[in-house]
Amino acid sequence: MPRTTTLECPGCPPLRALTFDSLGLIKVIEARGEHGGVPKVVERWGDPHSSKCVLAASIDDSQNDPLLAVARKNGLTDILNPLNGDLRVAISNAGDSGAQPEDDGIVGLHLFKRQREESSSRSRTLLTCTTKGKASMRSIEVTKVSAESSCSTVKSWNVCASGTIAFSKVDISENFSLFGGKGVEVNVWDLDKCEKIWTAKPPPKNSLGIFTPTWFTSAAFLSIDDHRKFVAGTNDHQVRLYDTSAQRRPVMSFDFRETPIKAVAEEPDSFNIYIGNGSGDLASVDIRTGMCTSMNTLEIYGSASMILIPASTWLGVDIRGEFQISVKDHPVQQGKPGLVQALRSHHRYSANCTTPQVFLKQHLNEVVFDSAFADKEVANAAADAPLLEIQNGNDTQEDATETLPVKRKEAPEEKDRSKKKKSKENEESKTLKSKKKRRAKDDIHDDAS
Amino acid sequence: MGAKRKKSEGEELLNEGEKENDKNNENSSKKMKKEILPSMIKNKEKRSAVHAKLKHQKKVEKRKKLKARDAAEKRALELGEEPPARKTPRTIENTREPDETVCRPDDDELFAGNDADEFSSILKQGCAPKILITTCRFNSSRGPAFISELLTVIPNSHYYKRGTYDLKKIIEYAKKKDFTSIIVVHTNRREPDALLIIGLPDGPTAHFKLSKLVLRKDIKNHGNPTGHIPELVLNNFATRLGHRVGRLIQSLFPQSPEFRGRRVVTFHNQRDFIFFRHHRYIFETKESKGSDANGKKAKDAKSEKTSQQKVITRLQECGPRFTLKLVSLQHGTFDTKGGEFEWVHKPEMDTSRRRFFL
Repeated sequence: MPRTTTLECPGCPPLRALTFDSLGLIKVIEARGEHGGVPKVVERWGDPHSSKCVLAASIDDSQNDPLLAVARKNGLTDILNPLNGDLRVAISNAGDSGAQPEDDGIVGLHLFKRQREESSSRSRTLLTCTTKGKASMRSIEVTKVSAESSCSTVKSWNVCASGTIAFSKVDISENFSLFGGKGVEVNVWDLDKCEKIWTAKPPPKNSLGIFTPTWFTSAAFLSIDDHRKFVAGTNDHQVRLYDTSAQRRPVMSFDFRETPIKAVAEEPDSFNIYIGNGSGDLASVDIRTGMCTSMNTLEIYGSASMILIPASTWLGVDIRGEFQISVKDHPVQQGKPGLVQALRSHHRYSANCTTPQVFLKQHLNEVVFDSAFADKEVANAAADAPLLEIQNGNDTQEDATETLPVKRKEAPEEKDRSKKKKSKENEESKTLKSKKKRRAKDDIHDDAS
Repeated sequence: MGAKRKKSEGEELLNEGEKENDKNNENSSKKMKKEILPSMIKNKEKRSAVHAKLKHQKKVEKRKKLKARDAAEKRALELGEEPPARKTPRTIENTREPDETVCRPDDDELFAGNDADEFSSILKQGCAPKILITTCRFNSSRGPAFISELLTVIPNSHYYKRGTYDLKKIIEYAKKKDFTSIIVVHTNRREPDALLIIGLPDGPTAHFKLSKLVLRKDIKNHGNPTGHIPELVLNNFATRLGHRVGRLIQSLFPQSPEFRGRRVVTFHNQRDFIFFRHHRYIFETKESKGSDANGKKAKDAKSEKTSQQKVITRLQECGPRFTLKLVSLQHGTFDTKGGEFEWVHKPEMDTSRRRFFL
C-alpha cells in the first residue's frame, strides 16, 4: 500500500531567499505568512546559459537602495536590484586583471553594507577575490538611472603568491577579511590599510614526520563583535579554531568524519557552529568544547557545500547536486529543544515529509537570504497590506526620493536582532534566555580579551 | 476437528452452486478463517493440509472471477456495448511516492542544463567516445571473461591491464590519451561485484553495485554479436538524478547506431535497479498462416504487416546479462577521500519501498 499517513508540513518562517545556479539563473524563493507558508519559487530572472554560471554573490539588504552583486563565469559582475532583478550596473573584471576570466574566476565577493570613509555617499564598495589570489576593492557609483555608472578600482593586492584561493570572508564589522585555500594558509587582512595582519602556521609534522599539505576549504568568523576568532575547515576533514590574538597555530582542532569539510557556518548568538562535509553529513558542534551537539538532523544525500544561517531562526544548506536549501527553526526560538525542521528546496522528499521543499532543478552555486524580508512580512501582517504593493513601491522608487520608506530599521545588525525579538510576541522568556546567554558570552569575551 | 467438519460442510454447500448459498458460504468461510488460521494449528501435517485447502479455494475463486469477467466482456461485445474497463493492477511502480524531480519534457531549464553538462560534447557528436576498461588489482576467472564480453558490447573500448597503478594515475593517463570514459570492473572473490564509470575529463564518477552476472556462454541459445554500433535503449530514467545517470551511460556509446547490425543494448531501470541486456533482433516475413511467434514486438509488427505476409520479430540474447544499482554519484573524477558527492546511497533512505531515486 502506498503510504497514507503523511505528516503535516509545518511551514517555515517568512523568508525570502535568492538562489543562484550554474546556468546563471536567479530564482526567488519566498515563504509568506506569520506562521510560515510553503516556500515557493516566485520569480526567475535571466536566461539559462552555461557561460553565465554564477560564481559568487553578495547582497546588501539595507533599508535604502538594496543591492545585489553577482559575479558570473564570463567575467562580468552584475549589480542588480534584489527586489525586482533589474540590472543596475555591469562591471567587467577582465579589463584590469588581464587574465582570461575563465581560468581566474571570482571565488569571493562582498558588497559592503556600510559606506567606506573616502567614498562619496552614492558609491558602493565591492571586494572581489579571484582563485589566483588577486583581491581588489573597488567603488562603484550606482546612480538611479540604470546602466550609467563609473567604476574605479580603489585598491588591489595579491593575497597569495601561489596556490588557489577557495574562499574569502569579511567579518561583521567589515574591517577585516579572511582568505584561504589550497596551498594557502588562512590569512587575515585589514581592509582599511590593505595589509596582511595575520597568517596561520601549519600544524607541526606528526610523530612519523608526515606533513599534510595545506588545503583549506571553508571558514567562518566567530562571535559577531570580534574578528579575532574564526573557524576553518580543511580538506583532510579537520575543523580548526583559530584565535588571531593568541597564536598562529590553531587553538583547537578536531576531526570530523572521513570526507573533506565543505562548509562551516556560525550560528548567531551562540557558540554552535555547523559543519557540512563532502559525503553529506551535517553536524552542529559546540566550539567551546568541540563536542558534537546534533548530527545529521537533516536528510542530505549529497555533499553539503554551503551552510547559511542568516538569522537565528534558519539554517540553509546547499547540497551539491542535490539542489537543496534547508532552513531550520532555531531550537531555542521554537521552544522545543532539539527539534529541527527544514525547508529544503531540493530534489527529494524527506523521510517524514515534515519539511517544506522547493525543487530548484539546477546545481546551486550561491544562496543569499534577504534578511529584511521577515521584518517586512511581520509589519505587513500587522498592516494587513499585501506585499505586492510594497514591491510596486520599490519599483517606482526610481523617480521618487532616495530613501525607501518600507523598511524601518538602520544598518547595525545587533539592534535589528533585538528589535526582531521584541517585536515577536510571547517571547519574554526566550528573550530572557538569550539575554542571559549574551551576558554569559560577554563575560567570556572579557576573559578572552 | 470441529473446524474441519465445518469446512467440509461448507464445501458441500459449494457444490449446490446456488448464488445465495455461495454468499453464505463465503461469509461462513470468512468466519472460519477468523476462527482458525492455519498458523494456529500446531500439527504440521494438518496445518499444511488446511493451508493447501485454503489456497486451493482461493485459486478456485480467482478463476471464477476471471471467468465471470470474461463472460461479462463477451456479453457486452455481443450487445455492442463498451466492455467494462479492466482494472489496472496496483504495483509498486505505479504507486510510487510522488516526486517533483521527475523530468518533464517541457522543462526548458533541463535542456539548457543538458547543453551545459559534461556529456554534451559526446552526445552532440562533437567527439567520438573512447572507453578505457580496466579492473581492480587482482583479476581472474569471471572478471576477464566479463571484460572480454564488455569489449564486444561497447564499441571503441580498450582493455588496459591494471597493474599496480593508482586509479588517479590511470585517469591522468587516460585524459592524456583522449579517452572519454573509464570503466573499472571490480571483482571480489573472482566474481565481478562493482562497476565504476568515470566520465573524463571532469567527471562525474558513478559507482554501481553489480549483481546477477550471467556470461554469454551461460545463456541458452545465445547469439554472437557483430561489430556494428549498437542501438541503445534507456528505459525509465525519470528523475533528475536518473537523467544524469542515463546520460552518463549514453555517453559510453557512439550516437550513430548502425541499424544494419540489428543489435540492441538495453539499460532498463526498474525500482532503481538497472538491468542490462544485449540482444540481436531479426524481422522475418512468413506466410500469413504461420504460427504466431511470441516475440515481444510481434504485435507491433503485426499492425504493419503487408497484405499476405506476416512480419514477425525474433529476439536473440547475446549477453552478458547483469544488474546494476547506483551506490554513489560523485562530482569530478574518482576521488573518494576528497570528492564531493552529488548523491550517496545511505541506509536511512530505505524507509519506503515506494520511493525511487532514479
